[in-house]
Amino acid sequence: MMDSYLQYLSENSTELIFYTQQHFLLVLYSVTFASVISLVLALVLHTNQLTPASWRRSLRVGSRETSLLLASAALTIPSLALFGMLQPLLGLGVTPSIVALTLYAIYPVLRNTLAGLSSVDPAVLEAARGVGMGPVRRMLRVQLPLAWPVIISGIRVAVLILISIAVVAAIIDGPGFGKPLQDGLARLGAVNSFNEVITGTLGCLVVAAGYETIFVVIQRLTTPRGIRG
Amino acid sequence: MAETMQCLTDPAHRPGQRPVIALEGVSKTYPKQSKPAVAELNLVVPEGAIVMLIGPSGCGKTTTLKMMNRLIEPTTGRIMLDGEDVTNVNADQLRRRIGYVIQQVGLFPHLTIADNIAVVPKMLGWDKGRITSRVDELLHLVGMEPAEFRDRYPRQLSGGQQQRVGVARGLAADPAVMLMDEPFGAIDPITRERLQDQFLEVQRQVAKTICFVTHDLSEAVKLGDRIAVFAAGGRLAQYDTPSEVLAHPADDFVAEFVGSGAAVRRLSLLELSHLELEEVVISSRGAPTNGHPVLAVDDAGRPSAWHHLPGSAQSPPLVTVPLSGTVYDAVDVMLDGRSPLVVVVDDDGQPRGALRWDALVGDLRTKGKRP
Repeated sequence: MMDSYLQYLSENSTELIFYTQQHFLLVLYSVTFASVISLVLALVLHTNQLTPASWRRSLRVGSRETSLLLASAALTIPSLALFGMLQPLLGLGVTPSIVALTLYAIYPVLRNTLAGLSSVDPAVLEAARGVGMGPVRRMLRVQLPLAWPVIISGIRVAVLILISIAVVAAIIDGPGFGKPLQDGLARLGAVNSFNEVITGTLGCLVVAAGYETIFVVIQRLTTPRGIRG
Repeated sequence: MAETMQCLTDPAHRPGQRPVIALEGVSKTYPKQSKPAVAELNLVVPEGAIVMLIGPSGCGKTTTLKMMNRLIEPTTGRIMLDGEDVTNVNADQLRRRIGYVIQQVGLFPHLTIADNIAVVPKMLGWDKGRITSRVDELLHLVGMEPAEFRDRYPRQLSGGQQQRVGVARGLAADPAVMLMDEPFGAIDPITRERLQDQFLEVQRQVAKTICFVTHDLSEAVKLGDRIAVFAAGGRLAQYDTPSEVLAHPADDFVAEFVGSGAAVRRLSLLELSHLELEEVVISSRGAPTNGHPVLAVDDAGRPSAWHHLPGSAQSPPLVTVPLSGTVYDAVDVMLDGRSPLVVVVDDDGQPRGALRWDALVGDLRTKGKRP
């Protein structure tokens, strides 16, 4: 059995490497879009005077809570349903897959970004104001670097969630390991079908391992030494 | 006694007369509150002075301090800095001209000690070499070895060390004015005392104009050239030298705030170096005693015991106090050593004179002010 699986792997290696690439990139694009959206939302909605003074506090808090609520609602939509619902709007293939996965990734990143920004010691922010840092400099030089470890762990969680949800993209002809997995499941019992199922599952694990390795390096490199645990 | 106090301030840090900070009719009413936190306040801080803002909680002292660098914007009134109206200038740029030190220190945990101190100079666009030498200079000033501390991070420092870095950060761009919001409030009493002494030492060298919020009367008396006592509602109840506030409280509120220990606290304002001390005679030198106490000394000339004390059969235990101390310190060692008199010694341990218990309740004479 093991021998035949290895044989399957070697015979289909080009294809499998292609799936790995696709799956990796699908998650990369989606999580990047989601991170940018969440960061911008969090920076604008966080109460540190980046928003115009005319925005009332209640409005600011309100919009923050609303966006969190919407993001969490998006996360709870069954993935099968979401991919299906996007199909009439965006068609088949890569675009609707990325859009759906982006929607799923926003919640963990947004939540962690907001939590990270609020976890910064108020005394540090007061000191920053007291030495004459403006709101933008205060955010970029002080608050964001200090919140960064929490933000990056949010992105890391989002990536893990996306790797497993991404296989569902195959129902709208999306890229990645969803394809062999679904083919295999549909033809269970036929030649190589079980191999395909195993490959789809193991493939996700390989991609996850790849991302985890990358995150260890990124976290090491981007966390300021003074706050490294 | 109040009269003799006038000459006690060390001339080296006697404040000048030029006003550096002036609050003119400043009020602050917080949103949704009917009563102002600070009402119609006029306060002038002269150049080179340490002004202590003191009062009970919620009296508006911190609000007043934060209006000086406009962390809190006044509702009405004008803020003058060095004769310039800064009520409406760019607040961030204003703050870069004013040192600011807070109780929680608020060092940036992700920056090294050197980068923390360099924050304001960097914003002001100083070149690298100038910043580096300034950082080293400041670390020396606050008593920290640059080579050892420059590249450390805040979490690797003790609370006292962090606050010293906080003070260095406040001084970094050499501002004329420093605002300090209970900087030693969260530090243990022993370290606090050391930091206060060091703070006075630093001030002797840098001669800044300083506003300092505290709720500790002893700290206000020890550090302040002037004390501003705030009553509830942001009313300035009295603004005067520490000895005046202690000796002549302006009203019942100040009297109660200063409390019953005022006379004892005032002792800490009397520096021994300004007193006319009683002469002591060294026994081995064979000089006539003239009724003065006679002291035995060791080979280095340091007092070792009382040889003879006129009018008393047996010699009391020998206690000494440094000349740089205050009468408060002298009383402390006398009580502690159960001795009716104390020898005042200079930095080398040589006796400079004696102070008797009786003199405290009698006529304490200060130099150059004899009637």
